[in-house]
Amino acid sequence: MREIQVLLLGAFFLFIPLLARSGDTPPVPTTKVNVHSLGPERIGDLPPVPVPVNNPQTSKNILLGKQLYFDTRLSKDNTISCASCHSPDKGFSDAGPTSKGIKDQLGGRRSMPVINAAYNPLQFWDGRAESLEEQAKGPIQNPVEMGNTHENALKTLNSIPGYVDSFKQVFGSTPITIDQVAQAIAAFERTVVTTDSLFDRYVRGDEKSLTAQEKMGLEIFNGKGHCTACHWGGNFSDGRFHNLAVTQVGPLQVDKGRFDVTQDPEDLGKFRTMTVRDAALRAPYLHDGAEKTLEDLLEFYNRGGGKDPNLDPLMVPLGLFREEIQALAAFIKNALTSLNPEAAKVQPIPASNLPK
Amino acid sequence: MKKIYISTLVITALLFLLPIPSQAIPAFARNHGFNCNMCHTAFPKLNDFGQRVRDNGYQIPGQQGHEKNVLETPIPLSLRTTPGVSLYHGESGNTLGFGVYGLDLLGAGVLHKDISFLLIYTPRIDEPAGDFTGSNNGSNPGQLGSLESANIVFSNLVKDAVNLRIGRFEPAYQVFSSKRNFYIFQPYEIIGYASPASGAAFGDNQVGLELSGHFRNGFKYALGVVNGTGGIADNNLFKDFYLNLVQVFGKGDGQSAGQRVGLFGYLGEQPTRTGGATSPYTGSNNGQDNNLLFRFGGDLSLNWKTFNLIFLYLVGIDDQAFNLVSPDESYIYSGGFVELDYAGLLNNRLIGSLLYNFVLPPSSASETKVHSVSALGRYYLGDWTAVNVALHGEYTFKLTGDDNTIKEHLFSFLVDFDL
Ligand code: HEC
Ligand code: HEC
Repeated sequence: MREIQVLLLGAFFLFIPLLARSGDTPPVPTTKVNVHSLGPERIGDLPPVPVPVNNPQTSKNILLGKQLYFDTRLSKDNTISCASCHSPDKGFSDAGPTSKGIKDQLGGRRSMPVINAAYNPLQFWDGRAESLEEQAKGPIQNPVEMGNTHENALKTLNSIPGYVDSFKQVFGSTPITIDQVAQAIAAFERTVVTTDSLFDRYVRGDEKSLTAQEKMGLEIFNGKGHCTACHWGGNFSDGRFHNLAVTQVGPLQVDKGRFDVTQDPEDLGKFRTMTVRDAALRAPYLHDGAEKTLEDLLEFYNRGGGKDPNLDPLMVPLGLFREEIQALAAFIKNALTSLNPEAAKVQPIPASNLPK
Repeated sequence: MKKIYISTLVITALLFLLPIPSQAIPAFARNHGFNCNMCHTAFPKLNDFGQRVRDNGYQIPGQQGHEKNVLETPIPLSLRTTPGVSLYHGESGNTLGFGVYGLDLLGAGVLHKDISFLLIYTPRIDEPAGDFTGSNNGSNPGQLGSLESANIVFSNLVKDAVNLRIGRFEPAYQVFSSKRNFYIFQPYEIIGYASPASGAAFGDNQVGLELSGHFRNGFKYALGVVNGTGGIADNNLFKDFYLNLVQVFGKGDGQSAGQRVGLFGYLGEQPTRTGGATSPYTGSNNGQDNNLLFRFGGDLSLNWKTFNLIFLYLVGIDDQAFNLVSPDESYIYSGGFVELDYAGLLNNRLIGSLLYNFVLPPSSASETKVHSVSALGRYYLGDWTAVNVALHGEYTFKLTGDDNTIKEHLFSFLVDFDL
């Protein structure tokens, strides 16, 4: 009798997880980007891209977005496209250190990679845009980027029959609005995700995809190097803001970072954690390009960052040996560089193939 | 019998409930997906990051409220145990024996933003079944069942500056916790030392409450009110007090980077009369129910690359009522230790350490004088998810007493693992 009770009890506990599962509904597109979620979470595969309900991923929408992304006609003098500063062959960033916009004007901050931007809960170094859609409207009328106005850009687009046609097919209405432009670009950006790398293959079970040195780099990344304290989850970023006391170089004397958005003194000098995926493709590093190479950046972390009264408490000197820095660099360079064509090899659309 | 039965049941239940049986990682690491060495120089010693997490009520500094709580994570339980073999060589002869040197059941986690808890239960470990039928009859346990820690922390009552811990806990003045150092057999002698009549050892966990705080300039304090320890139940109205002040110079927290100095002081009262007894202990010529004891001292933790040198010196002054041998003198003793740890190989997979202990008792108790030297090596096994298995070798040479010194050697090899 007792045995039976015990067995029943055991069976009951075993079933609880199953019961909990059976109530799950299939994932639905969501506007709440999953990195708003509580963390840290283990580094690993990227989850499916979060897609807002009002901007579904259709092939036409994506293609339209890609055309706009490579189209210099969005800028005032037809010289700059999104791709000028977010170029596929520069890891979707630019040569830097900070960006050059229209008429060779120098911006204050380093261009951010567009890869996996879809996973960011907030866009920009300081998180001033809530979504890719909101973000995409910014550069067009930023005087040091594309230097245009929304009205003027829309006038141009509405005068190109090829675009009017495509927008009509995707959104079912004309004239073209700035929200539609932003939606199409955002849809394209949601395809620029790095779901395949040697690291991803390794965590999916292919033991041989990493060398011993790269495995050690991964172990240090998640251990003695403390990198996953901030670079966690599938996108190797907590999506939050930290003050690393980065040396301020370039055109700006001071950059208050997140403070500019929140006016909260706690946020002085904080910038959003950048993904480490594809980092090897986009030196120099940090929001002002202050660290020239990956090794320089790792040395910077090994010193515990820079000097600042608001330095993040997670930044401490690491005591990494030379071999450990080499292992970390090998891991980032070889294991975290994406292999999937949609992200790594997006082919630019030449001007001659853009809608006329 | 019943206890054993229950402990076995608990352990079996744990093994079954752990969600990822093949990847055994202790609770915090498991919740966050971190390798052990995120928070430990090498387990169980905390690094700066781990120390800051501990100071922040087991929450990642700056991230409180943005973490999953215990209900949203795998069951927050961990085990630590150490099977192995030891060789003892002393005046009385040699012994060589296999054993399981302890088992800790740990539970810890964040309940809500800025509210967290820690539980450590050490189950009673009797000798194997034969002991229950043989002459020992279970009277010789290898470990006593104890609720070693059970406390709740309210963090950031004032951001960083005021945190409150309530329950049974390891008080802040134990900067070099014997629970989180590398040595398994060799204790910090002075921390465990007590005058025979007071029984109040500095290393004991305390029941009470502790206020603590840490600041950007490297300053930390802790202020505690506790029952006090010792063999006799604390039945006095006077509670014990302690104050601990720490300053860290340079970046880091003094655990694995930065240089740290600390001062501590403890003022307590201890009953001098056993429960129900009408007269005080023998020897007491000012024997009242309670008498004073003081502990004070300083500590140092210096870091250079992956070397960590630590030093502690402590003075204990117990009222003469506690001095059984020379009842007209206070019982004054002192002692300390110096330890040098080195972390080597990639991700600190290798640890080497040297330790010197000294205890200088009052001359009336010179037979309790101790000098010992110890050495230790640990090599860790694991992968990027955890380095939670340590092969551990430890040696101690110990001299006890002044005139008729007793010499002892202890070698041990064991496997220290956490899950
Ligand atoms: C002149 C160079 C330049 C141009 C042109 C430009 N960007 Fe950017 N982009 C930047 C810089 C610099 C930042 C970071 C700015 C900041 O945080 O203040 C950035 C940030 C972003 C981000 C945020 C990524 C993240 O991780 O938060 C996205 C997305 C983006 N740009 C997309 C675009 C799109 C789409 C276009 C075209 C409509 C575009 N950019 C045009 C330089 C440029
Ligand atoms: C305290 C949080 C934190 C820790 C710990 C941390 N990072 Fe970062 N990381 C950031 C932030 C924030 C940025 C962007 C900072 C900026 O540009 O001002 C960043 C940027 C980077 C970048 C630059 C990406 C780019 O495109 O510019 C790389 C690469 C990187 N981190 C790797 C690492 C490695 C490797 C470690 C461990 C040795 C590490 N990080 C530890 C927060 C952190």
